[in-house]
Amino acid sequence: MLDAVLLFRHALYGALVIAVACSVLGVYVVLRRIVFVGAALAQLSSAGIALAMFLSGIGVASGLTGHPVAMALVVTLAGALFFGVEGGGRGPVPPDATIGVAYAVAAAAGILLIAKARSGEAHDIFLQGNILSITLKDTLVLLAVSVPVLLVHLLFYKEFLFVSFDRETARTLGYRVGAWNLFLYLTLGLVIAFAMQFAGVMLVFNFLVLPAVTGLLLARGMGGVFFWSVASAVVAAVIGFTLSVPFDLPTGPAIICISGALALLAWGVRRLRG
Amino acid sequence: MSALVTFDGVALGYGRRTVLSDLSFAVSEGDFLGLVGPNGAGKTTVLRAILGSLPPQRGTLTRAPRLRFGYVPQRDQVDYSFPLKVLDVVLMGRYDRIGLARRPGKDDRDRAMAALEHVGIPELAGRQLKDLSGGQKQRTLIARALVGEPNVLVLDEPTNGMDLVSTTQILGLVRELHERDRLTVIMVSHALNEVANYVERIALVVGGGFRIGSVDEIMTVPVLSEMYGIPVEVDSFNGHRIVLARRFAPGEEASRA
Repeated sequence: MLDAVLLFRHALYGALVIAVACSVLGVYVVLRRIVFVGAALAQLSSAGIALAMFLSGIGVASGLTGHPVAMALVVTLAGALFFGVEGGGRGPVPPDATIGVAYAVAAAAGILLIAKARSGEAHDIFLQGNILSITLKDTLVLLAVSVPVLLVHLLFYKEFLFVSFDRETARTLGYRVGAWNLFLYLTLGLVIAFAMQFAGVMLVFNFLVLPAVTGLLLARGMGGVFFWSVASAVVAAVIGFTLSVPFDLPTGPAIICISGALALLAWGVRRLRG
Repeated sequence: MSALVTFDGVALGYGRRTVLSDLSFAVSEGDFLGLVGPNGAGKTTVLRAILGSLPPQRGTLTRAPRLRFGYVPQRDQVDYSFPLKVLDVVLMGRYDRIGLARRPGKDDRDRAMAALEHVGIPELAGRQLKDLSGGQKQRTLIARALVGEPNVLVLDEPTNGMDLVSTTQILGLVRELHERDRLTVIMVSHALNEVANYVERIALVVGGGFRIGSVDEIMTVPVLSEMYGIPVEVDSFNGHRIVLARRFAPGEEASRA
């Protein structure tokens, strides 16, 4: 079993980077009740990849179409910008409905584009990802994106926390709440755009939601939530990955099921504590 | 008393819609002002203008230099799903003083503890905010407003949804802060009867109209009947003023309709 896992060790390292980055940002995603922003951004990212493949197939060979990740990044950051600006919810359409529209349209557009792309892969690659294909170079790219984002979150923890917890009071103390929200959404979009390339919509969404839920169930302070969120994401990634390789299981769903089991365990611990 | 915030012919609204117009009044140092009116009348609009988050459509709105507000939001504006301890919440009141990307130090923690003592709940510093009662949560939010050393304490519906005991305690605490520390206080509320017995001046915002004056000037039958558009009675009981909508005689209400 160990030999098989070692064979894909670079993929495991990549999965761990995605797990850590998403599980840190996921704490804000869950606490701010924007879990479907995570799903919609992941779908937008996949639509970006599909668009790059489609354009490349019909001979539109610009810099963006040659690099699907660049197109995914552009589309995802545009989505993050949109959700960040519209997040105030003062428009005629409720924010969750806007997110739903973006999710549905991005998912459908991705499928349509990939169906007509000459160099397309199977549709479910977007949903499930192909985490085993992560190479050492991919892991380094993921690290190059995730480490600065995590450092930004460490540095501006107090600011992100304040505008997430009580935006009105933050505003009265001179915080530019809109700008901070936008900044948070852009870091989220950046991580999702890169993570999506390998992990797929479902696994990215999992890492953004389930570990944070586990953290909230187990911890009694914000530090604890971040700790348990990251810890449970790492444990789920390692166990899911380790089980999936020798037993020939799809890796993403295996990790998600372990994440779910950990969240269930945390819920049990919470109930026992009373 | 020097003016801290001055409205001069100010019109307020959102987009092209004007909510209130021709507002001319001042909030002075040492004031204890109740901003009172029914829900949706425009209290929050005036409040946002005072705090500086809503620019006037017309007129001039000036604030004293280095004016600092201690804002206490409505309790339901705060998200209690965040697992934050009381001390952590109070420390937020110093975040802008601490500076960007810096962590609270010992001095900030000492000041936060002092603010908790000031509002009478130092023993709750380590408790989770979500586990507190309504009154304790409100005291925590008041402590957070005070820890920033404000010139003006602004409370938005501080007794909303509270029982009689908690309401009395919170309003008593606010009056104590005003009298003991000579703190300027602006209290927003829809409950005229509650506010009128604590504040020194009342700004009444009803149906697009605005009237400001001392409690004695505002709490009169002609003013309140005109502002609310219904006949009212103003009574006094043990020094407390009570406003009641006048009860119609049988048949009178139907004939009015």
